[in-house]
Amino acid sequence: MRTIVIALAVARKDLTSEWRTRELVPALAQFVVLALVIANFGFQFDSSNANAIAPGVLWMALVFAGLVAFGRAFAAEREQSSLEAMLMTPAAPAAIFAGKAMAAALLLIICEAVLLPALALFFAVPVSFEVVLAVLLATVGMAALGCLFAAMVARIRARELLLPLLTLPLWIPFIIAGGHAVQVGMGANGSSEQALALLFDFDILFVVLTSLAARFVLED
Amino acid sequence: MSVVVADRMTQRFGAEVAIDNIDLAIDAGEHLAVLGENGAGKTTLLRILATAARPTEGTLQMFGLDAWHERRRLRARIGFVAHEPGLYPALSATENLEFFCALQDVPRPRVNEILDLVGLAGVARRPARFLSRGMQQRLAIARAVLHDPRLLILDEPDASLDAEGAELLKTIMRSRTAVIATHDHALANRLCHRTLVLRHGRVQGIPTRLRVVH
Repeated sequence: MRTIVIALAVARKDLTSEWRTRELVPALAQFVVLALVIANFGFQFDSSNANAIAPGVLWMALVFAGLVAFGRAFAAEREQSSLEAMLMTPAAPAAIFAGKAMAAALLLIICEAVLLPALALFFAVPVSFEVVLAVLLATVGMAALGCLFAAMVARIRARELLLPLLTLPLWIPFIIAGGHAVQVGMGANGSSEQALALLFDFDILFVVLTSLAARFVLED
Repeated sequence: MSVVVADRMTQRFGAEVAIDNIDLAIDAGEHLAVLGENGAGKTTLLRILATAARPTEGTLQMFGLDAWHERRRLRARIGFVAHEPGLYPALSATENLEFFCALQDVPRPRVNEILDLVGLAGVARRPARFLSRGMQQRLAIARAVLHDPRLLILDEPDASLDAEGAELLKTIMRSRTAVIATHDHALANRLCHRTLVLRHGRVQGIPTRLRVVH
């Protein structure tokens, strides 16, 4: 119960700070729209291949937006020297980590609310329930992993370089399963059930693993 | 009874020795001033005492518990004011403290009481980034005493504080054990029972017992 209270307090604090400063979400929303504009001009697509190209563009935009969102989660705490103040309380590091990851995931979901309609607009592809579900499921696991590595590299000067190097390889399973589910959701043949179930399993696995690892990453 | 007992405590950063073989005992209710020039090891010593860092060698017991292995339990009894205030600039003074109420499991009404104590009741709704450096330091002090700790670790808390701020330090240290790092010898004489002078991570001479001026 205490863990949930602490996680919610941390998430609320991060979301309130973002709401007041509007540092991250407007910039990320602009970034994903610009990525779609560039892809729109960069790829030779028409109604026959839009369904094949759009999922790739979606995941590229999502992955890079995610790296920025999750990277800021702990970098801001380090810059204002507030992480230590949080860790100097009896609160469990896993609860603090869960709160940070929840807030970062929510901020990315807000960007996804811009990304998905923009994708439908630029590429004329359907954004079905399966597409939304695949993106949301992937966001949970990607947030857990992204925030763990963001916490790990936050005290390193070259963190902007190290974060993608550490995170991207472990995000590949989400991109493979999520990519398949999104392709089906956008009209490709096959079933997305297995891919969505796999995404759900990955979420459970990585949320549990990162919660266990959070204590060592944050405290040592 | 000693609240803090350190035995041959050493802290190394690579080849550099920040704290060298320090023995220390601090009694309940005692106020210890840690003096020394820049780089003498004051902050390292205070971070170890606050359980923010683990000594490389030696042992540290606080309230009869191993300081590192029982650090989460001990943190409920320790209030730490670090070198930087570490506040959330977009949150108001009240919101900053309310957030720490949730982490410390302290009831929210305590926030108003503490803001009154540190003299920030008038700016309670002002975002921390719009507070002066001295007010930010008062807010950091408020956060350190929010959970009514038995032991206070204060790393240069007088930085940016005005004359009234020194009175505030005296108030919050009353009936608590306290370790305070400062460059201000007059303040140390005024607030503390003993001084410990560090040089290159080592204790210089015998810790001096002072006559506290009330």
